[in-house]
Amino acid sequence: MRALVVYCHPKPDSFTAAVRDKVMDRLTVAGAEVRLRDLYSLEFAPALQADELDRYEDTDLNRSGIEDDIADLTWCDTLIFVYPTWWYGLPAVLKGWLDRVLVPGVAFQMPDENGDIKPGLTHITRLGVFTTCGASRWLTFFVGAPGRRTILRGVRLLCAKRCSTVFAAHYLMDSATPESLTAHLDRVGRRVDRWVASAQTRKEVPA
Amino acid sequence: MTRALVLFAHPCPESFSSALHQTVVETLNQRGWDVDDCDLYAEGFSPVLTEAERRGYHDEPENIGPVAEYVERLRAADALVMVFPVWNFGYPAMLKGFLDRVFLPGVSFRLEDGKVKPNLTHIRRLAAVTTYGGTRTRALLVGDPPRRSVTRAVWHVCRPRTMKYLALYDMNRATEAARHAFLAKVEREMGVF
Repeated sequence: MRALVVYCHPKPDSFTAAVRDKVMDRLTVAGAEVRLRDLYSLEFAPALQADELDRYEDTDLNRSGIEDDIADLTWCDTLIFVYPTWWYGLPAVLKGWLDRVLVPGVAFQMPDENGDIKPGLTHITRLGVFTTCGASRWLTFFVGAPGRRTILRGVRLLCAKRCSTVFAAHYLMDSATPESLTAHLDRVGRRVDRWVASAQTRKEVPA
Repeated sequence: MTRALVLFAHPCPESFSSALHQTVVETLNQRGWDVDDCDLYAEGFSPVLTEAERRGYHDEPENIGPVAEYVERLRAADALVMVFPVWNFGYPAMLKGFLDRVFLPGVSFRLEDGKVKPNLTHIRRLAAVTTYGGTRTRALLVGDPPRRSVTRAVWHVCRPRTMKYLALYDMNRATEAARHAFLAKVEREMGVF
């Protein structure tokens, strides 16, 4: 198991950092190789630029400047995003990572005249989201959780057909208590354990 | 005169998004709107919410300090029109960063008893003009996150009288005629906005 954790939060001492540590710890215990991309500390520039769009469809040139991100993305079989939900969606820095790194020839093939785009991340069989929301669970559901859908449905279309997903969120972050935070970290740990175990069992079942 | 803030996010002046942006601005101007044309790329807006901003996020009114100019423009608006391409079933990072940094507590919403209360109710008209690379079916399959982001999340803090979500799907295969028809539709809708 090769897991890439894409982490995005501006504060090194945030609760999201504790979630990241929990996820990475459980993955390591399960025997996974783990790589981390900490987008804020890498000072990842999120705005897709005009010159990048000019060479966007040129698969020889469109990896320029994002070689390391692509190396990690093509290396992993498990892709996990750890971030705070802002405005029901991904922080701009993480959204920009998708905009700039999921290029044609890597994440997908551009459509021909009568087809849809073809997925390019079919080596990814597990996709996870661990997040926090300021809003309540009810309000998040009312809005339709666009951030969760962007990844667990949108990015998932680019991954393996039977890609398994995992999700956990702490809602109402502004009224969180030490107890609710600890309980959430425990839940994250259990979810990762169960996810990894079920994926391994499934693998052992003969086709 | 009523004022419309047009938020635009696309880096290429020759893009179809740019043509849509131009149509929106020109039509609103012709109809007598006082248009505040905010081209986020051209203005060099930074979409990155910084560590310091996150730490001071809930400290009103100091939290508006780093983006005071944009807050003022938002507060002066009677209408908000967002013009952007959908990338990866979401806003471009540039536009998402505008929400992250400018839609602050005390600006776009108030927290009362832990509940989000709308604070942009002076925005009586809300519109999005956008293009998708994917087909409508593909967007529906994913649950159309950008449509929800506008028509539910932004709607929730504005509670506008009128809302329009104008989208052209399957952009990469759209014919010249389809693009013209969409430009005409945008012109028509902005004409009666």
